[in-house]
Amino acid sequence: MPLRLYPIHDQAITIEFSQEISEDANMHVIEMQHAIESNPFKGFIECVPAYGSLTVYFNDQVSALDVRAQLMNFYASQSENIKSGTTKNNKQTIIIPVCYDPVVGVDLPWVSNHLNLSEEEIISLHSAIAFRVFMIGFIPGFPYMGTLPQQLELPRKQTPSMKIPMGSVAIAGKQTGIYPTEVPGGWHVIGRTPLKMFDKTKEPCCFLKAGDLVQFKSISLEEFNQYS
Amino acid sequence: MSITILKAGFMSSVQDLGRWGYQQFGVPIGGAMDVVSASIANRICGNDDGEALLECTLHGVEILFNKTTLFAITGGGSSAIVNGQPVSFYKLIKVVAGSTLKLHPDPFGCRSYVAFAGGLKIEAELGSASTYTQSSIGGYHGKNLDAGIVLELKHQIHHLEKSKDIVINEHGFGTSNWKSKSFNLPHIKETTSINCLPGPEWDAFDEESQHQLFNTPFTVSAQSNRMGFRLVGPILSLKEKTEMVSTAVTRGIIQVTNQGNPIILMADAQTIGGYPRIGRVCSNDISLLAQCRPGQKIIFREVGGYATI
Repeated sequence: MPLRLYPIHDQAITIEFSQEISEDANMHVIEMQHAIESNPFKGFIECVPAYGSLTVYFNDQVSALDVRAQLMNFYASQSENIKSGTTKNNKQTIIIPVCYDPVVGVDLPWVSNHLNLSEEEIISLHSAIAFRVFMIGFIPGFPYMGTLPQQLELPRKQTPSMKIPMGSVAIAGKQTGIYPTEVPGGWHVIGRTPLKMFDKTKEPCCFLKAGDLVQFKSISLEEFNQYS
Repeated sequence: MSITILKAGFMSSVQDLGRWGYQQFGVPIGGAMDVVSASIANRICGNDDGEALLECTLHGVEILFNKTTLFAITGGGSSAIVNGQPVSFYKLIKVVAGSTLKLHPDPFGCRSYVAFAGGLKIEAELGSASTYTQSSIGGYHGKNLDAGIVLELKHQIHHLEKSKDIVINEHGFGTSNWKSKSFNLPHIKETTSINCLPGPEWDAFDEESQHQLFNTPFTVSAQSNRMGFRLVGPILSLKEKTEMVSTAVTRGIIQVTNQGNPIILMADAQTIGGYPRIGRVCSNDISLLAQCRPGQKIIFREVGGYATI
């Protein structure tokens, strides 16, 4: 059962499954999102998945009480699917090329020193397994992915960098992410992808979505430069 | 048909009622800060509520009309001068080609909305004309307006037909003999009461902070913008320090930073946040809040019998 349902607006209700970052809880969130989107109720606008919660926005054609009842129904009809794992991990893994050369992965030497791992070990740990996209947020197109192997865990920077270039692949805590545009940020940059994570002129505008599985593939600086 | 921005004032941008359906990709809803005033401006012009219009923060804007144009101005933060003469907000205004609109300082409200019959001719991006400068989406090339920018207008022929009874005076403009109603705008010196509900993490805050939220005035800080209003007042604290896992947030949510300062999220709020949320402003009062300017005081009034869902 969800832990709780609560409003964040007169026309938005959050269903909270977990207050922790867990892949299981996030799987519930995405199942619920798919269930609602494939059979939307009257007045439904959109879903916003987060780590352990799903927020549902609706318009004034429907009351909050009705939406609450609808959401409980969706949960009841979906919970069997979730438990039996019928839709679990039947996804293709999306391969994202990353150049881990310190020319673009500017914090890699520092991270290597700090974690007491060689740069090669970091690259191999970061590109060995598929990560789950928990949610997209912070800025348009920024994917929060995990769960990082414990050896790669480190707190975010004390002082955020003023400019992190577009495409930077970074780590912090149990998470890894990709900066879709140049912004200030506090994560440690260990590489860069030539792929565009967000493009307002494309449909969909976002390269990834919550629930996707992503595996990084190490490419050389030459290969990276050839992309652009 | 077009207008030329002669002066952009403090901050002016193209807005509509927001960009819906892209929050799961981290794209904020955005749109007019004061949805009520924006909708009224469009209705006065005979437009749909969601037509693209101008949101002008405080005063300083100057607009040149390059053709005979029908427009309306609502909201506050300024008073309107057309061809050197004061004109009333909330009326339909007809100006001849070469006319100018200037926004002068006014102590009531913070944001005015200038709508044009037919609407601004702005290409929607991700389903909306709203300007989101952070990611250069929507509006005029994703940016706030600058002096010299020319904005095209949609055709007004149909609207002009209906406005035949507006008499153009010797100053080159005329106004409707009717005026739309709206809510009372807050005065800069007045403490504005804002209806509010306990937020999702209300119980995590200590009793003193809970008491202070509803009993102490807060000042809207100068660091406020379209993303959020930072408030200056008592420091709010949690019963015990806890790390929250990020979840969806939206306009009206009052989140509290690690330093204990509340921020009310506004139109360009990010889609997901990780700060504890002590309260949320009633959706009906967001427009009133959007008309409060930096330096102004607000006090939250608790609304009862509401949080039943």
